[in-house]
Amino acid sequence: MADKITVGHVHMSGCTGCLVSLADNYGGLLTILDRYADLVYGLTLADVRHIPKMDVALVEGSVCIQDKLAVEEIKETREKAAVVVAVGGCACYGNITRFSRGGQPNQPQHESFLPIGDLIKVDVYIPGCAPCPQMIRNVCVMAYLLLKGNKEQKELATKFLTPLMQLAERGTEACGCDLMYDVVNQGLCMGCGSCAAACPVRAITHEYGKPNVNREMCIKCGACYAQCPRSFFNFDVVPEFEAIMEAIGAALK
Amino acid sequence: MGTELGKYKTCVSARSTSKEILKKAQDGGIVTSLFAYALEEGIIDGAIVSGPGDEPWRPQPYVATTVGELMASRGTRYNISPNVSLIKEATRSYGLDKIGIVGTPCQMQAVRKGQLYPFGWRDVDDKIKLAIGIFCMENFPYQSVKQLVEDHAAMKMESVKKMEIGKGKFWVFGERGQVVQLPLKVTHKYEQPACHVCLDYVANLADVSTGSVGSPDGWSTVFVRSKNGDDIWTKAIAAGCFETKPIEQVKPGLELVSKLANEKIGKNQKTVEARATFGVGKALRNPYIKP
Amino acid sequence: MSKVVEISPTTRHEGHSKLVLKVDDAGIIERGDWLSITPVRGVEKLAIGKTMDQVPKIASRVCGICPIAHTLAGIESMEGSIRCEIPNDAKLLRVILQCANRLHSHALHNILTLPDLYIPGTETKINPFTPEEPVRSVAKRIQRLREIGQTIGEIAGGEAVHPSNPRVGGMYKACQPRAVTKMYDLAKEGLVLAHEQMDFMIAVLRNMQKRDWTDVGGKQVPIPKTLGYHSQGYMAADPVYGSSNLDECPRWDPKRWTDVRPWDWYMGEVEVSLADPSYPVGGTSPVGTKANPQMEACTGVPLYDGAPVEVGPRARMVQFKNFDEKGTFGQQIARQMEYPDCLHTIIKCLDEYNPNGKVLADNIPQGDGSMGWAANEAPRGCDVHLAKVKDGRVLYYEMLVPTTWNFPTCSRALTGAPWQLAEVIVRGYDPCVSCATHMIVVDEDKRIVAQKLIQ
Ligand SMILES: Cc1cc2nc3c(=O)[nH]c(=O)nc-3n(C[C@H](O)[C@H](O)[C@H](O)COP(=O)(O)OP(=O)(O)OC[C@H]3O[C@@H](n4cnc5c(N)ncnc54)[C@H](O)[C@@H]3O)c2cc1C
Ligand code: SF4
Ligand code: SF4
Ligand code: SF4
Ligand code: SF4
Repeated sequence: MADKITVGHVHMSGCTGCLVSLADNYGGLLTILDRYADLVYGLTLADVRHIPKMDVALVEGSVCIQDKLAVEEIKETREKAAVVVAVGGCACYGNITRFSRGGQPNQPQHESFLPIGDLIKVDVYIPGCAPCPQMIRNVCVMAYLLLKGNKEQKELATKFLTPLMQLAERGTEACGCDLMYDVVNQGLCMGCGSCAAACPVRAITHEYGKPNVNREMCIKCGACYAQCPRSFFNFDVVPEFEAIMEAIGAALK
Repeated sequence: MGTELGKYKTCVSARSTSKEILKKAQDGGIVTSLFAYALEEGIIDGAIVSGPGDEPWRPQPYVATTVGELMASRGTRYNISPNVSLIKEATRSYGLDKIGIVGTPCQMQAVRKGQLYPFGWRDVDDKIKLAIGIFCMENFPYQSVKQLVEDHAAMKMESVKKMEIGKGKFWVFGERGQVVQLPLKVTHKYEQPACHVCLDYVANLADVSTGSVGSPDGWSTVFVRSKNGDDIWTKAIAAGCFETKPIEQVKPGLELVSKLANEKIGKNQKTVEARATFGVGKALRNPYIKP
Repeated sequence: MSKVVEISPTTRHEGHSKLVLKVDDAGIIERGDWLSITPVRGVEKLAIGKTMDQVPKIASRVCGICPIAHTLAGIESMEGSIRCEIPNDAKLLRVILQCANRLHSHALHNILTLPDLYIPGTETKINPFTPEEPVRSVAKRIQRLREIGQTIGEIAGGEAVHPSNPRVGGMYKACQPRAVTKMYDLAKEGLVLAHEQMDFMIAVLRNMQKRDWTDVGGKQVPIPKTLGYHSQGYMAADPVYGSSNLDECPRWDPKRWTDVRPWDWYMGEVEVSLADPSYPVGGTSPVGTKANPQMEACTGVPLYDGAPVEVGPRARMVQFKNFDEKGTFGQQIARQMEYPDCLHTIIKCLDEYNPNGKVLADNIPQGDGSMGWAANEAPRGCDVHLAKVKDGRVLYYEMLVPTTWNFPTCSRALTGAPWQLAEVIVRGYDPCVSCATHMIVVDEDKRIVAQKLIQ
């Protein structure tokens, strides 16, 4: 077994739901920690008070720019981590903190929350609220292969992670409206229903086969668009689903 | 033959041995029979299928957990049925641990993407136990089918018994024995636009995929693709669910499937490429390159 | 002369917080303040003007460990305002969801507090992630219990982390018979494991209670018999679920609640005068660091009958089951004792549940601006939401979340303990800090200085 990678969980203005989701790999989490990753930071799970150097930082939550500590912390995370992963809608897109407008005791000035990508360069996006345990797991395994695997494994991991890196480049705004703007309006929606299945607040219904987004329910997590096979579909990875799922399964046995 | 038919382990022409299923099945009753077998054997504990909806010939995805419920889904409804929308709910309020799902090639792509990239599909990836794909040249919005039937075929939607695309025609069969065939050049304008960037004809990513093309009337062409699909198909054959013929011995055979697949992929590949120069210095999005 | 110690940030709980402690020459806390340093996302204020359907979904995202409590209290405060009664089968699904969440949350808390405790009969503290036995079997049991809780929650609630099934007026989806059977089987399996886990945890806690000292950063720190004692009262709305203004006899009373200014409760400006670089992990804040809990603090020290109260498992046990053990150990034991009832209640509800029943009210009024409230017994205590809804939109929203109730109470409970055990006391409350919207924020500048110096 090659040596482990070091992973940290950095908690910004999030709800810890993303971390719970990671922990919801149950036995798989223990295996990941046994074999592939040392958890070197994470205030909830680990007894470490200050951000150390690490291979992969899993960042949860957006950044309150009126909170200097938070701004420092996210910059420090960028300096200390080789790979920064925005885990969850808050880190990627702001999610519910996009609705924040301050005015609440005792920090009424805390009104501006930005997705981490507006302050630092982010390498990988995992949208969703909370993103699924299996998705976080797959990214962890792929990050391990990317950093410690052989040539073939590195290639596979690169191909797998590419769309998630492209999502990070695509921008820091998401909404159910993306299904309209970037799928239906672009003549790409074929009515599969993936988006509705992905929405964590049941904001999406299908009317005559096409998505209808209840914008007064949408929390801007970005799951629907990321899930849509017409947002991205990488022919060099998805058709290998059987082998990849087997490999991930075996890695966690 | 190239990659147009996807990876597969075996390909046969087949038909259900159940007369009951065949009565209302679209072709060889492969989908309904295989789900019924898997349900009875406990390979799946429910299947997401598309059945009758609120209006005549308008499909509605639902979770079938009995053979009786499967029977109501027989036959093809040529308009959009967002079957994948139930993939998560099936594991929640329906309590399924082993899901079957049927869908068009694009829906199989959605399912597989969702297994590898489950952004919002928690605890779904390992519960998909049988994904059956149906061949698909194109699909239609509901209103398109309505106009084809009511305007071009001069029939009321309620009085249609069956619709079919085959032998280069769109067929509408009426309750009172009417048969109308429309040339496909009439149907083209009505197609769902997103189908024109679709690069899969025979559901390459299904466990088992099936369609009428390549086999004689009342029979289906079946590709057995994944290990899992192979396992289930072999058992179903052993259990006597299907009669089969080697695909090489039926007419028109695989050659026609290949031909149509190549036509579809070739045509749509061009559309995808044309999108890059659609505007003036502005491209339409290409999902196969990046989100 | 008393000295000031600061532990910042505290670890192994949800969110960011710190401790400012005045200690005597022997290092015993004379007065402790426990404060949060998580930015205020302002959910109560952003709720204004939004729909009554969306606000509980946003409120859920205040905390990912007890999202169920926030969803349910949020929805039921809206239902309380619009005066909407939901069908019994919907209520049953909500109770199942509630218990499933408590099961998973208590199990998660076990992981967070085990590192403070010893394997009985040894001098080894428990690292829950070690592959060594006997700990690995316990970790696996904890994860399985969590899996059972999360899976039942997912079935009844639609989603394990932020439940999607509950809605104003009931639930989106009724559970089919197969789902009911699945939940039943899981609950039965969980019951066996829950008893084992409860017995294990109680044995470990009793063992700790019997010890005279514990090792902290290589030093033997005495454990006082009165660790975590306080003389505040308790508040709980129900042994399991909660109460709302729609109940015939509501078990929480908004009239008894007041919000006071933090300067009534927290100390003024102090300067750190005692530092211990050997305190795990990374030492305490350096001498000279300034802290000012009183001035830096937020509003909302919520009081009940004019005093801070403890909420949580022990509060429930005291109010409804005559439990009388005090201190951190009593609190921890109470939590473990709640394990089996989570599953008994799920089983009872499943027996009563009718899969063909209605789960959505026929009529969902849009509200006339009346006040509604719901008090939900979250894993870590009573979570009260208050709302006014008019024409389907939220006019007013307030969340009195468990950890906010516990901040001042726990601060009092620090008195008399060696400062090295302050975090142990805090963890006894199973704090969930990011949900505490009324909270105390420290001067960030100074903390950054502190951090740099340590590195
Ligand atoms: C839009 C569309 C286009 C098609 N194009 C071709 C083609 O070009 N060439 C070809 O050989 N075959 C095509 N088919 C497949 C063919 O029509 C039959 O569905 C297939 O052969 C299965 O028949 P069967 O007798 O095995 O299935 P049956 O036992 O009759 O069961 C049919 C199954 O299809 C499902 N179904 C029905 N309508 C839809 C829908 N709109 N979306 C998703 N699932 C649905 C039902 O749930 C049912 O489970 C197409 C199907 C569709 C839906
Ligand atoms: S994305 Fe969702 S689960 Fe994650 S921190 Fe944000 S609100 Fe919580
Ligand atoms: S997921 Fe499917 S239905 Fe939804 S927008 Fe994308 S293509 Fe359309
Ligand atoms: S519609 Fe749903 S999935 Fe899409 S961004 Fe909004 S909340 Fe997220
Ligand atoms: S042609 Fe392609 S995109 Fe259109 S329905 Fe068929 S499989 Fe889907």
